[in-house]
Amino acid sequence: MDLDLTDEQQMLRDGARRFFREHYGFDVRRALLASETGMSAGCWARYAELGWLALGQPEEAGGWPCTFVETAILLEEFGRALALEPYVSTVVLCGHILARCDHGGAARAELQAVVEGRDRLALAHDEVGGRYDTERPSVVAGRRGEDFLLRGCKSWVLDAQAADRLIVSARPEGAGDLALFLVDATAAGVRMSTYSLVDGTRAADVVLDDVRVPASCLLADEVAAPVVLREAIDRAALARVAMALGAMEAVLQMTADYLKTRVQFGQPLGRFQALQHRLAEMFVEVQEARSILCCGLAHIDAPAVQRGAMVSAAKVVAVNAARIVGAQAIQLHGSIAMTAEYAAGHYYTHLLAFEKLYGDADWHLDRFAAHAVA
Amino acid sequence: MQLSHTPEEERFRDEVRGWLRANVPRGKRPRTGAALREYDLEWQRRQYEGGWAGISWPREYGGCGLPLMQQVIWYEECAEAHAPVGGSTFVGLSHAGPTLIVRGTEEQKRFHLPKILKGEAVWCQGFSEPNAGSDLASLKTQARIEGDHLVVNGSKIWTSYAALADWQELLVRTDPGAQRHKGLTWVICDMQAPGIRVRKIPTMSGTGNLCQVFYDDVRIPLANVVGEVNGGWDVSMTTLGFERGTAFIAHQIHLAATIEKLYGMAHEIRAADGCRPAIEDGAVAGQLLKLRAEVAALRAMTYLSVSRSMCQAVPGPEGNIVALCYAELSKRVYAFAVELLGNEGLETHAENPDWLTDYLDAFKNTIAGGTSEIRRNVIGERVLGLPRGGR
Repeated sequence: MDLDLTDEQQMLRDGARRFFREHYGFDVRRALLASETGMSAGCWARYAELGWLALGQPEEAGGWPCTFVETAILLEEFGRALALEPYVSTVVLCGHILARCDHGGAARAELQAVVEGRDRLALAHDEVGGRYDTERPSVVAGRRGEDFLLRGCKSWVLDAQAADRLIVSARPEGAGDLALFLVDATAAGVRMSTYSLVDGTRAADVVLDDVRVPASCLLADEVAAPVVLREAIDRAALARVAMALGAMEAVLQMTADYLKTRVQFGQPLGRFQALQHRLAEMFVEVQEARSILCCGLAHIDAPAVQRGAMVSAAKVVAVNAARIVGAQAIQLHGSIAMTAEYAAGHYYTHLLAFEKLYGDADWHLDRFAAHAVA
Repeated sequence: MQLSHTPEEERFRDEVRGWLRANVPRGKRPRTGAALREYDLEWQRRQYEGGWAGISWPREYGGCGLPLMQQVIWYEECAEAHAPVGGSTFVGLSHAGPTLIVRGTEEQKRFHLPKILKGEAVWCQGFSEPNAGSDLASLKTQARIEGDHLVVNGSKIWTSYAALADWQELLVRTDPGAQRHKGLTWVICDMQAPGIRVRKIPTMSGTGNLCQVFYDDVRIPLANVVGEVNGGWDVSMTTLGFERGTAFIAHQIHLAATIEKLYGMAHEIRAADGCRPAIEDGAVAGQLLKLRAEVAALRAMTYLSVSRSMCQAVPGPEGNIVALCYAELSKRVYAFAVELLGNEGLETHAENPDWLTDYLDAFKNTIAGGTSEIRRNVIGERVLGLPRGGR
């Protein structure tokens, strides 16, 4: 076992950190948050040039078939910079579905478009009242000759406003519970209402009103769909753990710097032992999160039960760490951290969103319990 | 020891309940701006006209002259009736007013106290500065004496409702040569005075009531000084005694209503599995009921603290105990609410976005008016008698 990064991985980390430091300061983020799409198309094009959109994708589609460790390394830097672009939705979640459904045809072409930065994607799977399990969607895929007609409503479609295409889960009439379709986001009959989440990222409710989809855009049928979907969501959940880790490290560093420089009662706050202990506890929490991420990475390609158990364990531990680190960062800064003009609060809301996306701590704890018993 | 309310207190409660049922404002309270000010003042006016304003304030200044316990009963019934709590009238009613009652001149009391009770004036606080937070005594906003005026220059920060306020309780340095605590003065500042500029500070919750205030040669009559010139530290300790003692009684009681609302919500919202009601999830129920028990303990602690305060003009350092418990517990209650809501807890457009806003705003409970750390210091040193720390 060797848990050190390879030279290539170290280069990826350094390159990403440098890119964000030079091009993605806090002011850039605040301007993007106020913009209509809530992200930067310019940065997305740069990500393509840097090869980041090719990570883990098959060579046939122009990808770079590396391990998930590289994805985690990159996303840690996304989290550190609080970058807003839909990398997890497009590359980790939808990219994985496309790669697993790549029998040539539409999936291959779309994957190439992702790798080259031409298309961004969003997964339309959750439905109202579904909480975190939608095994049998209410969206129906009827037949119209060779084509399908999708009808129904999806909610909580993350990053939909920035997506060129959607991967939609639907129940094919007379053929099982779940299939996956590739749908043009601007197709006739697709209507979106977009809203902001607490961290400023966007989601949408999507209405599908008899949206016509050619048979070639059926990505996965009733046999493959549930398996591929679960894999992809697990990868997205773990990718968000990596992002949360980067965010926690950054806000911990900010807090340490603040305690060293903020003077009250004639001395730096960091000289007060109670605060030293608090910061040390936060640091240990971050180390726990980093360690459990390694566990998750070691099992991401394992059979579903082991993979599920370790991804859930990672989520539970990282959420616990995020709550402590995020909240204490605010407390140790004081009022300034509650303002929108200071990054600590942005890290906090990012970590709050992390808690809930792709299964909250309760859901993952239940699954960890179920799979640990199995 | 008398563990239940007296018949007199119960009669009072019945009367209050009847009046509130007919008079509590029905419309949704605006989050910010002139609309919030108007809403809060209108509600205060109605209380005054009904004869319920300043329940424990002296009669000669428009109050009811009743014991503090009646004030507690009033707040309990307000929570029961879903009456608004806190808001832009909070500083006037809960610390500027009480400070003036104890420390103000007869003239100051006659002028200001009725205005507060009648819903004619909004007050804000001007204590913290960018470089004087927990270390309040290091504040630098200067006031030099020119004839019968103070001339103020500097800046105050984290002032809630400064943009809506008529008056400010302002703590300034009048003797730059004196030792830290010795050269300060507590003064009533007219927020419309020339030279005052207010900047709104956007917060992570999106509500816009937090401000920074700048003073550029602002002239304040010396008649507005409360207590002695250079005796402001002592007056500010009176103010903070109220802020950490009795000011949050209404909020503490309101928390009990909040937890009951959550209890109801847990029956309607689904658990993480998407099937059962959340309350049937053992972990959720356990967490919720533990919070409910803690809220009950906080309520009892409020009673104990009130019972003790009834023998004192100004709450003592023990006030910090209940203040600390409330601050920490309220954050846990709102965190639980957002957890319970699942994904919807993240939506800023949701039908009831108040949970998320309340949760993010609750971070101030352990920061404003003395951080939890400062409160623990006071409890350690002044209640438990530990040696003073290295400050």
